[in-house]
Amino acid sequence: MPTHTSEPPSPSTSEALSPSGERGRPLTRARRRLRPRGLLLSVAGAVVGLAFVTPLVWVLTNSLRPSGDTFRFLSPVGWETFLTLSPIADNYLALVGTGLGRGILNSLLISAVTVAVGLVLCSTAAFGLSALRFRGQGAVFAVIVVSFLIPFDAIAIPLADLFRDWNLQNTFTGLILPGLGNGMAIFMLRNFFLAIPEELVEAGRLDGLTWWGVFWRIYLPLSRPALMGAGLMLFLFQWQAYVWPLLMGTDAEHVVGPVALANMQGQFSVDYGLMFAGSVVLILVPLVIILSLQRYFIQSVSTSGLK
Amino acid sequence: MSGPVARAGGRAHTAPGPRRGHRGTPWWRGTAAVALAFLLPSLVALTLLRLLPGATALWGSLHHTSLLSGESFVGLGNYLNLFSNADFRNAVGVTLLFTLVVNPLQIAVSIALAVLYTRRRMAGAKVWRALVILPIATPPAVSAVVWSVIFRPEGGLANALLAVVGLPPQGYLTSPDQALASIIVLLSWIGVGYWMLFLIAGINDIPTDLYEAAELDGASPARTFLSVTLPLLRRPLSFVLVAATVSNLLVFAPVQILTGGGPEGSTNLLMYDIYSRAYALGDMGRAQAEVVVLVVITLVIVAVQFRMLRSED
Repeated sequence: MPTHTSEPPSPSTSEALSPSGERGRPLTRARRRLRPRGLLLSVAGAVVGLAFVTPLVWVLTNSLRPSGDTFRFLSPVGWETFLTLSPIADNYLALVGTGLGRGILNSLLISAVTVAVGLVLCSTAAFGLSALRFRGQGAVFAVIVVSFLIPFDAIAIPLADLFRDWNLQNTFTGLILPGLGNGMAIFMLRNFFLAIPEELVEAGRLDGLTWWGVFWRIYLPLSRPALMGAGLMLFLFQWQAYVWPLLMGTDAEHVVGPVALANMQGQFSVDYGLMFAGSVVLILVPLVIILSLQRYFIQSVSTSGLK
Repeated sequence: MSGPVARAGGRAHTAPGPRRGHRGTPWWRGTAAVALAFLLPSLVALTLLRLLPGATALWGSLHHTSLLSGESFVGLGNYLNLFSNADFRNAVGVTLLFTLVVNPLQIAVSIALAVLYTRRRMAGAKVWRALVILPIATPPAVSAVVWSVIFRPEGGLANALLAVVGLPPQGYLTSPDQALASIIVLLSWIGVGYWMLFLIAGINDIPTDLYEAAELDGASPARTFLSVTLPLLRRPLSFVLVAATVSNLLVFAPVQILTGGGPEGSTNLLMYDIYSRAYALGDMGRAQAEVVVLVVITLVIVAVQFRMLRSED
């Protein structure tokens, strides 16, 4: 984020997730003598790491097991609690056609549309705030800042009231709309756009580009990292959403993944294999996206402050 | 977050003198209409989806709606009523306790882990660190569901692991004493790795020669942490502090999915109290007042952050 002098972390964050390239601090002699402490550190690091990943491993293993076996290997706890030698895909195949499978597809649809439309909305707004200048720009910018300081979850209930008046309950439009107005993404893109040299704009204008041309041909191609970060933010907002879809998408056709999963939890007899398979998919999709976009991940969330 | 706001419109002031476009007018003039066209879709969206519900909450909080008399202005009546309501006061107490435990806990653990995983002498640090980070992809509602199975009093993973070390089974979410702590665990499982990312980035930005100097001076690891790491981590730390406080103030999914505020109101956090007041009790006026209270608390926290960072610059 070039213009971002006041934000917290930003550089050298790409290594945080990748198992490569420890920052090469030169070893001093004093350090070398401390081998036993190195061992102790490694053990501590490994224990904590394994503790954090244990629930995920248990969920993954049980998603590859028949439902009846979920609680079979718990007393006593042994290696079979966390591993299975005969994995089956049945639970994943069973997702097709269930409410949970439907919910996951709905989540994908809602998130994809939000990213596509949201990026257009946010980047055009950011362009209007950075490349162009006009009287009252400060006021418009203030409106955008205020809008993202209001936490969305807190105003979800009054907004749901309005959406009912507008007949948007149980529609995909109603589920998608709140994800589009993302002041934080605008804010982030604007900061990136401000670093684009004015000379490029002038040159483009002199060459006869319209303002749309300047935006489309100059700004967007130069801003790929910021667009990735903003896209990730728009995506995660929808993928993790719970309060809003709970209020808005209440019928079976419009249920989203997390809500469908939560509904299973309360049922009298739970198909745990199915539940865990659904959980794995709901975790894996954002995980793969975060890992492949990790370079932009911290940048985008650190400028947001509000998840 | 302070900087960009302080610089709002800053570029206009630093722009060099009147450059001329091909029509002989300053090149930026007459662009207001164009700029508004670019901004309009987002402005409409933000106004309708963020500001308007904020305004209706404020309006609704000052009115009382009944089937008989319709809507009537009651001033601060809903607020006064709210503060004299035992359930609301309990929710405030629970939220306060939760805030005072979950935030220091998550931040202390993420600092400790960030320091641990940036030590040079650790074998496989990147791999272990990645394992702590993996859960951050879990949506809160999914974490709640997964942990509900782990926390099952009978036949759950947590009690099975306790049995390994010879401890008796616990009630977790079903126990008034343990339910809130159980929710803190399932939230911290996601949160700690998330906050740790920022702190690791911050630690990696600290110049290496400071550590070498500390080492030459014979400073103990604790001393180095207090005199080098912590002061230089102030910026990412203050960001994490506010981001954690705000996001933990809005916790909802685990309460709604797992405990419904119970047992005995022990997990009735504000967000859930608003939800049940609005829908289970149908008391919209007071629910709106509660929304306003929550938004104001959040804005105050963020404003303090602005202050802190600005005074630093």
